[in-house]
Amino acid sequence: MNKSIRMKRLSIVSAVVATGAMLLSMLPAQAAQTTGVTSSEIKLGISSPTSGSAGLVYGKVPGAMKAYFDYINANGGVYGRKIKLVAKNDKYTVKGAAASTFDLVYKDNVFALTGALGTATHQAGYKAASLAAENVPDLFVNSGWSGFNDKTAYPTTFMVLPTYAMEAKVMAKVIKDNFPGQATFIVAQNDEFGDDARAGFGAAGHKFTREFFYPQGGMDLATGKTILSAISAVPGKPVVVLFGTGDATVAMLKAAEELKLTKKFTWLAGSVGADANTLLALKVEPETIDGVLTASFMPDAKDSTDTYVKQFMAINTKYNKGVVFDNYVLAAMNSAMLTVQSLRAAGKNLTRDGVIKAIETKGSSFASAGLVPLGYSSTSRIGYNGYWVSQINAKGEGKPFGGKLVIYTTDSGTGAVSVSNFVRPTMPKNGIPTNS
Amino acid sequence: MKNNKLKNGLAALISTTLVAAFAVVVPSVAQASDLTCSTVNKVETCKGTDDNGAKFEIRMPAKFNGTLFVYSHGIRYGVALPANPAAGTPAVPIDYSPEVAPTQEVASALLAQGFALAGSGVEAQGWNLEESVYAAIRVLDIAQNKYEKVNKIVTWGNSLGGLASQALAEQYPDLVDAAAPICIAESAQAEITMAGDFLWGMKVLFNPNIKGTGYSTGTAGYIEMLGDLGQVRATLTEIKTAIGVNPLKPTWPTTSTVPAALKAIPVRSAVMLLGLVSGISTSSNTFDGVAGPAGASETTFGAALSPALAVLENGADAAGLAVLANYDMELRAGGVVYDNSTTNFSTRLGTAGTTYAAALSGLDSARGILGYLALMPRVKADGAAVGRLNSMYQLQGKITVPTVVISSTGDHITPPGAAQYLINQYNASVTKKSAKAGSLAVIWNKPPNEYTKFDKNGSYITPTVPTNGVGHCKYTTAQVVTVAKIAATAAKTGKLPSTTAIKTAIKKDENLFVNPNFKPDLLKFRQ
Repeated sequence: MNKSIRMKRLSIVSAVVATGAMLLSMLPAQAAQTTGVTSSEIKLGISSPTSGSAGLVYGKVPGAMKAYFDYINANGGVYGRKIKLVAKNDKYTVKGAAASTFDLVYKDNVFALTGALGTATHQAGYKAASLAAENVPDLFVNSGWSGFNDKTAYPTTFMVLPTYAMEAKVMAKVIKDNFPGQATFIVAQNDEFGDDARAGFGAAGHKFTREFFYPQGGMDLATGKTILSAISAVPGKPVVVLFGTGDATVAMLKAAEELKLTKKFTWLAGSVGADANTLLALKVEPETIDGVLTASFMPDAKDSTDTYVKQFMAINTKYNKGVVFDNYVLAAMNSAMLTVQSLRAAGKNLTRDGVIKAIETKGSSFASAGLVPLGYSSTSRIGYNGYWVSQINAKGEGKPFGGKLVIYTTDSGTGAVSVSNFVRPTMPKNGIPTNS
Repeated sequence: MKNNKLKNGLAALISTTLVAAFAVVVPSVAQASDLTCSTVNKVETCKGTDDNGAKFEIRMPAKFNGTLFVYSHGIRYGVALPANPAAGTPAVPIDYSPEVAPTQEVASALLAQGFALAGSGVEAQGWNLEESVYAAIRVLDIAQNKYEKVNKIVTWGNSLGGLASQALAEQYPDLVDAAAPICIAESAQAEITMAGDFLWGMKVLFNPNIKGTGYSTGTAGYIEMLGDLGQVRATLTEIKTAIGVNPLKPTWPTTSTVPAALKAIPVRSAVMLLGLVSGISTSSNTFDGVAGPAGASETTFGAALSPALAVLENGADAAGLAVLANYDMELRAGGVVYDNSTTNFSTRLGTAGTTYAAALSGLDSARGILGYLALMPRVKADGAAVGRLNSMYQLQGKITVPTVVISSTGDHITPPGAAQYLINQYNASVTKKSAKAGSLAVIWNKPPNEYTKFDKNGSYITPTVPTNGVGHCKYTTAQVVTVAKIAATAAKTGKLPSTTAIKTAIKKDENLFVNPNFKPDLLKFRQ
């Protein structure tokens, strides 16, 4: 073929291809807005651990969310659409979360993710599945890493937890107000979790007598005993801050049991690793947890007088049979309720952009069990903005420390920790949102 | 006519070659000399040696459909290796034999469908990018001269051969109708940076007896290179044994001279860090980075141990490659080509530090090792040698013939970032109007999410058959044939099939996908 003719034909082909490409590039973008949505169904996905040691602690999350969605589905769904939750076990591994999230987006074609659990895991999942480029709403992530509030890096993400830095600042205030003069120690996970804590305590001006950091998965009974032995001779009743996951809290408390040091210290456990039911289930003695302080943003899961807790307990009994109701179940159902409100707030013509916009504009007023305010706005993707301090008793109940509920709010930076008079919105009738 | 185009192309090629730093002898018109042909099972196979001394092979089926695939093989040792009885490895001579397809199964499948195949053994091995391009052109010419019924030509290749096929298509688009690089390699500098960083890290952290770069000339250098291969093997074996004895707190090699404070960190985490700063994959032949033995320890194994063990397994290949490639490239370029004189390994780690904090035994451990690396003497390359290395063709992404690429997300030698670099270059070229829009399709091969197996005692099992998509250039016959047929179709029509058609072609394969939003990290050299 003559080269000039060939070139001419190629330019025509190129023009046709280019025009086609333009059309194609428009069509998928429009289609992607409603991926996972049909006239009768909204498909959501969650990547979280349901096996291994992480599964022992967090394994109830997807089941509890599904139970709440089943309850909503039985009551008309979201504008007539039923929610289908596709759950993947990422085993709390980076590669697992990357693969699970990828599959949820590209194979299961979910409309949005909800309740993804873990910082490192979700960082990997977000990147692997190109959630930003795909514009997939990433709802109510179970992580307090302040990095998820970076709207540039995570434009579709909404956290549900307060940041770990906020938690550390509230803890610092509690220590300062209630345990002056006592030595203080922190035992924390040596990753972004612990780094955020360091930043928060630093911002609050708190200096620990000594710090102990361990890698995720690196806290065991022997390590716990080594740490406690090293500080057992410190006079008074030192405060030990446990800033890690539930398995690490268990290891530390059981180490204290073996060394008979449970009452030597004031234990102040972070919200992530202080579910009383889980601690008891993992064989921590009731008398050990009696008196443990913990920061929380949710009501206590054993408080059946709380309207939200009572409703969620009833849903759990009917739709999540055989699963013990605890703080993880409560938090998961609460996130599911927030998800339903987000979908409703986006309107009947559901789109991905619509959901993101709806949370930015209406999310701070969503009904939720949380006892502290939600902080969603066009500039903030952080969920709850504060804590209250609970004291666990031997039954595993969490009661307000000092006998009165005090709600603290703060930011992730150098802002002050303030006492808030926040009153949460009334629960929707029967726990079924009707917002728009 | 292709022959006319070939002559024009060769004229340009010659002028290019005359100014090239590497001496590559190219005839003005390639000659088929001493062709020896035989026919078995209705396939005529012709073998010969071209004027540059490269052995070649052409296979022509009786029911030829008009399309010829010209294959460029991957990197081979540029030096002969003696047997090593201690390691149980046989002597490895330099391999100059021609290849016409990635595997014999692929060759048989394509021949059965009427495609003709050709390939050269290339007259020089090692990083033979330029020789490989010209050898492919010569065998292409010889095949066309012998078989006038050839009317469409696809250039394709594996790994370095994939890079060669892309280089051929970009430089001489009039010679071919389509291209299909498989597990395409990045540039020499990008690849040697990845492997070299890992090797340098091994030297400063685990075994200062490793020379790594700056090999002497002549026999002395050859002996130094062999010595390094032995040191690398021994060091990695020692680390692997230590992890086997105590996975949670394995000890450092006896040759290590790092301070005691660093040795308090499990050595697997130091290996992990080297992998992350080098860009070595965190999944490998045995370890998927996810699965663990059933029970409570599943989480710790999957999160903390498996990624590090994967890096160790991949690192053995990377370090061996670094020794051989450094030796080869230094000989070719006349000086040290690996350079880390300005590398900031903390920056290199980036967000992977938090993502893999568990496998790193915590951020403080990572910071400690990074601090030590920052203090270590660095390697400064010879500028002139690097210049000669980079005088080899560098991909521009100037794609004007339909090109289909397949790349595995788990390839530890030619990571998916190599294909992403081609995509980036191509997109830039389209913007500059030096490439045609809609001319590049990339098919990704994603391994199964989990494939690590454990025995009843919870010990991992190293598979004897690699998992598809894991390891270097591991594809099924069906996958490669699918890519080849897409390229052949494009060669005939002059344009790529639509994305929908490509998705349809691959939809039965769970590992394959196409998605423009999937953007793997570039190799560290490009970051």
